[in-house]
Amino acid sequence: MIQLYNVTKKYSSDSVAVKDLTLQIDKGDFVYITGASGAGKTTFLRMLYAAEKPTRGQILVDRKNITRIRGNQIPYLRRKIGVVFQDFKLLQSRTVYENVAFALEAQGKKRYEVSKKVYQALKEVGLEHRLQRKPLELSGGEQQRIAIARALVVDPLILLADEPSGNLDLGVTLEIMELFKRANARGTTVLLATHDHSLNQRFPRRIITLDKGKLVGDQRPLPG
Amino acid sequence: MLENIRYFILRALRNMRQWPFLCSAAILTMAVALATVATFFLVVINVEQLAQRWTEEIQVIAYLRKPVPQRDLAGIIETLKNYPEIAEVHYVSQQDAMARFRTRLADDASLLDSMDADVLPASFELGIRPSFRNQEGIDRIIERLENTLELDDLRYGQKWLERFNSFVNMLRFVGLVLGSFLLLAALFIVSNTIKLTLYARRDELEIMALVGATMRFIKVPFLLEGAIQGFLGGLISLLFLMLSFNLLISRSLTSFWLTPGDFQLLFLTLNQQLGLVFSGVVLGVLGSLSSLRRFVRI
Repeated sequence: MIQLYNVTKKYSSDSVAVKDLTLQIDKGDFVYITGASGAGKTTFLRMLYAAEKPTRGQILVDRKNITRIRGNQIPYLRRKIGVVFQDFKLLQSRTVYENVAFALEAQGKKRYEVSKKVYQALKEVGLEHRLQRKPLELSGGEQQRIAIARALVVDPLILLADEPSGNLDLGVTLEIMELFKRANARGTTVLLATHDHSLNQRFPRRIITLDKGKLVGDQRPLPG
Repeated sequence: MLENIRYFILRALRNMRQWPFLCSAAILTMAVALATVATFFLVVINVEQLAQRWTEEIQVIAYLRKPVPQRDLAGIIETLKNYPEIAEVHYVSQQDAMARFRTRLADDASLLDSMDADVLPASFELGIRPSFRNQEGIDRIIERLENTLELDDLRYGQKWLERFNSFVNMLRFVGLVLGSFLLLAALFIVSNTIKLTLYARRDELEIMALVGATMRFIKVPFLLEGAIQGFLGGLISLLFLMLSFNLLISRSLTSFWLTPGDFQLLFLTLNQQLGLVFSGVVLGVLGSLSSLRRFVRI
């Protein structure tokens, strides 16, 4: 599903965010991207949804080389990818319903289709009773669940999450992990950038470790 | 398609409702700029119309040193009429001139009682064909007259009219420069106003790009917003012009002494009115386009 070949990303000559990264992530994988702050986790994810272009190397997403992607093709790449952020990135002036519907409207989906899917997605994250609330009226955990509903409502092939539980307590983090696991079980490839090692202990999955932009570890959980 | 259009219009209207101050600022700026340009246009077309009327009334009056003997008169008139520049010829004898003078003096006509008719010179009043109503034409007529008649003096309003025409040209030039300047300023302000609203909505733009909205999907509502604002600006400027034209200018100006009795001030024709509103729309769209190009990137 995702292949990287000798990918390097430099912001300036002496600032290398990702260095010579080669790896493959299969369809349906669940992968933790770990590493200290500044290890290059966010840059790695941003390159996958074409928010950054690699300085060198090739990236394939769903068998398409996105290093040479044209600007007008980027939206179609992003429709296959759901992204969840640490700071949620919700529109505070819109209701919960509108925030989730936004992703479908942006793709030009029909109105009846939008309302049905939004309700399903919000039900999935347990917020179907908060449709008309504004994000700020809700807790951090609930806001992150809205963001996840927005990412999942479009049935993405890939779900990217950048420190999704960074601001949340353990109980909420576990709820969110449960949502990711369910999405993964339905076939979505999940990449979760985190520096919280405890997550892997609770939900053992493949771990890719970066340090100063370099791949320093790629562990798969022991079978059984 | 219809669904999309409905969505775009709704979003444009919601954006405008969300930022009423910025939105009204953009509309009013465009209205002021358009009204100023249109006012200049009106002034120019009306002054031109006035100049046209005066040109029509222009004639050359040739005062003669000696009155023409009756037997030669028909021949001279015929000669003058044969000149291609001259449309009509009217001979004013000394008696006719005195009679006119009397009429003009009205109640004071008795002052002339002790005067002979021959104090006033006889003259030819010459109407000029339209294509010769310019300095060149007048010069040729003068040359011909000097060859044909014994002239005492020549009168024509041409010099004055030419000066007036160059004033009209200057007015047109100033209007054009000032108008373009104002339109540019309006474009700049509209573009900046929209940039401000884009800045205020940068989160929304970022999220839109993130969830796979195409550039068209992101931009169209903003262009539509610019178009709606421009349309309203154009409409306001038109209403303002109509009101001020009907209430103030046309009433006070038609009684102005410079204008001939049946002179009607011109207002914008229906096409020009539509053009004004349409210019507003173009202004709004261009304003949004220029700021969007710099602001929205995927």
